[in-house]
Amino acid sequence: MHLFLLFYRLMVRPLLREPARTLLTISAVALGVAVVLAIDLAGAAATGSFRGSMETLAGDNDLEVTASGGVPEELVGTLATLPYPMRVSPRIEDYAVIADTKKSLPLIGLDLVAGASSHAQNASKFGDELQAQWASKQTLEHLGDNDSVWVGSSLGYKTGDQVPLLINDQIHEYTVRGVYSDSNGNEAAIVMDLSAAQRALRRYGRVDRILLKLPENSRLEDWRQRLRAMLPAGVEIRPQGAGTDENRRMLAAFRWNLRLLSYISLVVGAFLIYNTISVSVVRRRPEIGIVRALGASRGVILFAFVGEAVCFGLAGAFIALPLGRFMATGAVRLMASTVESLYVSSRPGPIELSPASVLLALAIGVGVAVASAYSPAREASEVAPIEAMARGRREYDARVRKGRDLWLALILGLAAAAASRAPAVAGKPLFGYLAAILLVVASALAIPFFVALLTSFSSKLLGRLFGVEALLASRSLAASLRRTSVLVGALSTAIAMMTSVGIMVGSFRQTVLFWMSDRLPADLYLRPAGVPAADRHPTISLELAQKIEKLPGVAVVDRLRAYEISYEGMPATLASVDSQALRRYPRSNFFSGRRTDQVLAELRDSNAIIVSEPFSYKHQVRTGDSITLSLGATQATFRIADVYYDYSSEGGTIVMSRSTMLRYLPDPTPSNLAVYVAPAANVETVRAEIEQAAAGHRVLMFSNRDLRAEAIRVFDRTFAITYALEAVAVIVAVMGIAGALLALVIDRRRELGLLRFLGAATRQVRKLILIEAGLLGLLANFAGLLLGFALSLILIFVINKQSFGWTIRFHWPMEVLLAALTVVYAATVLAGLYPAQVAVRLNVLEVIHEE
Amino acid sequence: MRGVAGGRNLRKILTGLRTNMPMLSLQGISKDYLTDGQRVPALKGLSLNVERGEFVALVGRSGCGKSTLLNLAGAMDFPTSGTVLLDGVATSSLKDTGLTQLRREKIGFIFQSFQLLHTLTVFENVELPLLLAGKTNPREVARERLAWVELDGLGERYPHQLSGGQMQRVAIARALIHSPGILLADEPTGNLDTITGNVILELLRRLTCEQNTASIIATHSLEAASLADTVVKLRDGKIEEIIRR
Repeated sequence: MHLFLLFYRLMVRPLLREPARTLLTISAVALGVAVVLAIDLAGAAATGSFRGSMETLAGDNDLEVTASGGVPEELVGTLATLPYPMRVSPRIEDYAVIADTKKSLPLIGLDLVAGASSHAQNASKFGDELQAQWASKQTLEHLGDNDSVWVGSSLGYKTGDQVPLLINDQIHEYTVRGVYSDSNGNEAAIVMDLSAAQRALRRYGRVDRILLKLPENSRLEDWRQRLRAMLPAGVEIRPQGAGTDENRRMLAAFRWNLRLLSYISLVVGAFLIYNTISVSVVRRRPEIGIVRALGASRGVILFAFVGEAVCFGLAGAFIALPLGRFMATGAVRLMASTVESLYVSSRPGPIELSPASVLLALAIGVGVAVASAYSPAREASEVAPIEAMARGRREYDARVRKGRDLWLALILGLAAAAASRAPAVAGKPLFGYLAAILLVVASALAIPFFVALLTSFSSKLLGRLFGVEALLASRSLAASLRRTSVLVGALSTAIAMMTSVGIMVGSFRQTVLFWMSDRLPADLYLRPAGVPAADRHPTISLELAQKIEKLPGVAVVDRLRAYEISYEGMPATLASVDSQALRRYPRSNFFSGRRTDQVLAELRDSNAIIVSEPFSYKHQVRTGDSITLSLGATQATFRIADVYYDYSSEGGTIVMSRSTMLRYLPDPTPSNLAVYVAPAANVETVRAEIEQAAAGHRVLMFSNRDLRAEAIRVFDRTFAITYALEAVAVIVAVMGIAGALLALVIDRRRELGLLRFLGAATRQVRKLILIEAGLLGLLANFAGLLLGFALSLILIFVINKQSFGWTIRFHWPMEVLLAALTVVYAATVLAGLYPAQVAVRLNVLEVIHEE
Repeated sequence: MRGVAGGRNLRKILTGLRTNMPMLSLQGISKDYLTDGQRVPALKGLSLNVERGEFVALVGRSGCGKSTLLNLAGAMDFPTSGTVLLDGVATSSLKDTGLTQLRREKIGFIFQSFQLLHTLTVFENVELPLLLAGKTNPREVARERLAWVELDGLGERYPHQLSGGQMQRVAIARALIHSPGILLADEPTGNLDTITGNVILELLRRLTCEQNTASIIATHSLEAASLADTVVKLRDGKIEEIIRR
């Protein structure tokens, strides 16, 4: 107890006496922890608790039967007539848009007739609400109607209401026959009978999945083997929800990288805690000497300073809880749209601040605080009492071993270079991260040397250029080398992260722009109206495609078709192109460097495919390799003719010619149309003709310029969250600078008071502090830019490549970088305003006589 | 009251020839401090004139008002009542800019604990008042002042490379760099041994005499008092006795 009393008197009270500085440090920790918490909460909501929308109303089944392009319907009968006591539930799964509200919802087709009759036979077995509804008399008579739908209660419809639904490229009117509760884990969806769904989606003779409920206590693997033997080669049987697991695996890299990005603020915060505790140790050195002389053990001193950090960590974590929860609301929106654009359709779950989240925040806050405070605290505990009382701050600061640290930095830099060349571990760029961490540490170690070097060279020059205030500011920074280095380290880390991510995103953007200039050779593109998502491939009526083909101004229509498939346990897109249309690519987009017409000729003439770079990287396949794909009921082996650069999806894409795809998946309806206008025709005239031809169809038409603009908009939205995370890191760093300058003013009050005695005007004192802030900003910008450049190379060529498989061409986004660095620099100087005001308001008489 | 001279030509005021006036004139000054809401008088109706070249020793027990008097004389603080005239200018009539200007041109300070900036070399410490006043190339003046205090050749050293006596000599050189009209020293030998302290006092006495600078030294030292032209004994904020030699 007495220890706590002493702790309060010696450690807490001084913190309370400097509320502004204490608050700044706590706020910096709070922001750092809040960002991590926000990304964790948002990640859990947007992807972590990810349960595909298509799992809605799936029930508790054990196995699922799937096939690329759909499972042949006859297999439902085959499975249902097997002499096994299992439930067989075929499903159609897609999306529909309520035409009035533009709300996009899962569209689920269930075998309602069979479900209702099963329910009638055995109510206890299928005792859910929806089944009960279907079994009701009034509903039963509408089960077979093609215009009957059942909807989730949260949509607000009543039985008998009319709902206009956009399905693929057409709107149909449907009648609500019943409403089911969607508050018990089920998502709001549109449910219709299987046959009605097949008709609406033009998916005749196929279902998307067959769910199987096995008898209780069955051994899943045994059943899987047994049923596998009875199914065609291309059909896969797997545990129910395997698709969700696949999506989770695919999303892992995205979540992992985002989570790491969120730790930047925490790293910056750690620097600042280290600085705060170092300052605290320096200031209280004489006190340490006195209490040690009065009988305090080393342990007590260690406890005191670690305890101080714990106070910062705890206070920061408690503020971070509501702050992180609040920030998560914004983050989840950004993350969910990225997940939908790049990965898979999902609806974010609720943001839950669970006990685990609270513990995480506390652990991070206190953990980071203790870890960063340990070194200065230990140093404080090892000081001999006499030494502490006798020596001043200057000598203590002089202990920075800049020469030794520079050598260490060089060694770590070399280790980083070696780590960056190591391959991924289990698909994760662990050595890439290690290289980045080593570089940050190396930079922190090298900074004292460079700060000393630069300030020693520059102080006189600065004095000549900007007056005596600049000379004093420069000398003061050089004299407090440790403190200056930590501050420059903190701010430069934030700037480096900002710069590196800025370069990476800028390079990526430039690469995508360059790539798109090749990839969109047609004049007009059509897709079904509705909400686009990476895993949704609604189709356009074949008649419409044919109608457009016959228009006089149209030269060629390329009918593109895409399916979501599973390859080696990972989602991928299978696409087909009309290879005769694609002659106009100006540059090669292939790894081999061959011309596009050469590669496409190969696709036409043989059982060949091309794969995208991410697919090639993820599945470790290259040109000349063969891969086996499950297509419909069959399996076929294809030779990879080439690998092409692609940035449209992270899952990877396999492309084959349309004729090849139709051999295995005979549905001729296209997902998109690429229209090439005849050389003599006017694009706008043709556009008007197509619009006329498409009357009654809901399709969206884009010029290639529109499509590029849309892609870049999606791209920018995708990276909005990274910019937000960087901004927070910079705010944390700037807050740290403000806090540290405040501490600097308080520590140097005697010196500042003396300057007033010697004739310094208040504006000169203010200028002195602002110049110090400016110099800190300049040093940090310089170091940050260098470190950022090195980190960007790791991000682009190691972490990105190993996480996502994309080749990005390096590009300096000069405008963005210049603007960002200017803003950071201005913020750093502005952070000096309040400390400068404090310096001006010092009572010079008190401070000069207090020592 | 302090704002009166705000728009005037300060330089004209400060450099006006007032040779017939004392360098420092304290006229009926009182100074009260507020401590926990209580008014604590530090100086009570005190009057004193100090002429150019006069060496004044301010003696008395701790808390008798020596430092308060020096602060008022140095225009670092203002009396509760009464007037402080520095070279004929009432300090209370000046705003911050005017006070800064006054300190730059008329006043030199020396402290018990030397108050050197450890980040600056000896040269740079000595030059500091001139640099703060915006003067360029003050090195030659600094070199000369260091010669006065017999520290030639030590200009490139840092304070921590000097002894206590040497540090106080640097402080004296700094205080005299701008040829102030008055030198205010608060216990300048308090941190020095007796022999070094005496040497410093004799140096101060000699230099102020040579430069015709008024000096007020707050001290407990009998040696300092014995060197002074005038000894002012303070007791409980009042002048108890003035001994002129």
